[in-house]
Amino acid sequence: MKEISELYLPDDVRYAETHEWIRIDDDRVRIGISDFAQDQLGDIVFVELPKVGDTFGSGEEFGTVESVKAVSELYIPVGGEVLSVNTELEDTPELVNQDPYNDGWLIEIQPDELAEMENCMTKDDYIELLEGEE
Amino acid sequence: MGNITKETPLHGWHEAGGARMSVFGGYDMPLWYPSGAKREHLTVITNAGLFDTSHMALVEISGPDAFDLLQVCFTKDLTACIGKKRTPIESGRCVYGAYLNEEGEVIDDTIIAQMDDRLYLSVVNAGMGATVTRHLRNHAGEYDVAITDLSDRVGKVDIQGPQSARIMAQVLKSPERVFEGMPYFSFKGHFDRQSPLSQDVRLRDDTPLLLSRTGYTGEFGFELFVDPRDLVTLWETLLEAGDAFGLIPCGLAARDSLRAGAKLPLSHQDIGAWPFCNNPWTFALPYDLRGRTFTKQFIGDEALRAHAGSAHTYAYAGYDLRKVSTGDPAFVSDSRGQDIGTVLTSVTDMAIGRSGSRIYSIASPEQPEQFQIRGLSCGFIKVDRELTPGETVELKDNKRTITVEIRDDIRPDRTARRSIQSML
Repeated sequence: MKEISELYLPDDVRYAETHEWIRIDDDRVRIGISDFAQDQLGDIVFVELPKVGDTFGSGEEFGTVESVKAVSELYIPVGGEVLSVNTELEDTPELVNQDPYNDGWLIEIQPDELAEMENCMTKDDYIELLEGEE
Repeated sequence: MGNITKETPLHGWHEAGGARMSVFGGYDMPLWYPSGAKREHLTVITNAGLFDTSHMALVEISGPDAFDLLQVCFTKDLTACIGKKRTPIESGRCVYGAYLNEEGEVIDDTIIAQMDDRLYLSVVNAGMGATVTRHLRNHAGEYDVAITDLSDRVGKVDIQGPQSARIMAQVLKSPERVFEGMPYFSFKGHFDRQSPLSQDVRLRDDTPLLLSRTGYTGEFGFELFVDPRDLVTLWETLLEAGDAFGLIPCGLAARDSLRAGAKLPLSHQDIGAWPFCNNPWTFALPYDLRGRTFTKQFIGDEALRAHAGSAHTYAYAGYDLRKVSTGDPAFVSDSRGQDIGTVLTSVTDMAIGRSGSRIYSIASPEQPEQFQIRGLSCGFIKVDRELTPGETVELKDNKRTITVEIRDDIRPDRTARRSIQSML
């Protein structure tokens, strides 16, 4: 298990209390789970994602990640419509473990209110949250 | 007292090795190492895995009446328990069974080893040493026996997987002699240097051990019992010798998914405070050859006869790797949507997959072309009626519903019963 100091927590994403991340890449808004979340879950063997066109309100469950040990819900940090899902995860769910912020992304959305992202944590706030959970 | 988390002598090794730790049976134990539970599970089937199982407890039953007390308390008939011919237990052999209460409910399951006709060792689950000791003492009455709880006084590791014998051959003194005449469910040696048996099995550095042809993964391998002071060295010696054979340390998550696929019950989860009958493990009861009546009287026997029609436990396998969360809890429903019971275990055996109605393992010799194994959910359910293998039921937790098939068995082509000679 990784110590907090060993986690990879990039600066260019915002974090949710439920350990998802959200990032604006040009005009795309991508969502995934943090290095902390994938490390806690262990080997991810199955990812259940929504369909393109599904809509979710902020904080709603949009799918599950299944590890060898448990099935965990995924919550959307910012409400919106699903524009695409990472279909690579059907065959290679382990990408979420190997590269949670890039190849292991989960969904892309059209946010209802991009400003909601401000409610998500910065890296420093997220580290504080993780230290509190220890 | 009861809430203090215990550690095995390997705890420091696990933490330094980056293991994800979790409390199981009162012990802080590794769930998986950085290689991950999936690889650990697969490696036990393809190569070999090493498990710290020192959290398990041992109880020693000694004295002229030890056999008689076990005949009363243990489910198997020790006069008829070895092999197809049901011969009596002998020194050097061990037997799987359970301790029941008067209601026929499981106190714990156990493997009993006969050291000699006045000395037996009973391997029980983590934290159960005191409970089983008390239970045996309560029934000792007039018997001339001594019952000793050896919890935390014996170190134990399991080496499991097809390379296990080749790896043991690297670390044992005179491995050919040790391996000779060592069928499934037999043992040699002793961890206690005072015992004359301890001469029979030694490591190359002269450490004595009890080497048993048993395990809890369904795969070929051994359980090793040593003095706790010898445990870390034994662990490191095995990992070093096993490196060339692909041996890796494995945690309790892989142990759980391997045992479920091998149709082995987890005590206090798949068997427990309900009558021990109508389940896949009735071979642990002293049935006669026709499977109708018991060949001896034992604690719980009358309750089991009275419960002949009660709850039924079955093994199942899903159609993909998705499982349900038994902690939710998860329920079982029949084809008409009627609730018929609960899910006891739901895990993914990552080494199996389906092609049509047939399940293949990564170890299966002949597999369909272009067939990819991605894992199947599997485990046990307890329901209020009889079901037939091949029948499907639905398992439902608060997230999902999955369809599963009732099965006689789950992971095929397991290696546990192969002879040592065929695995060298």
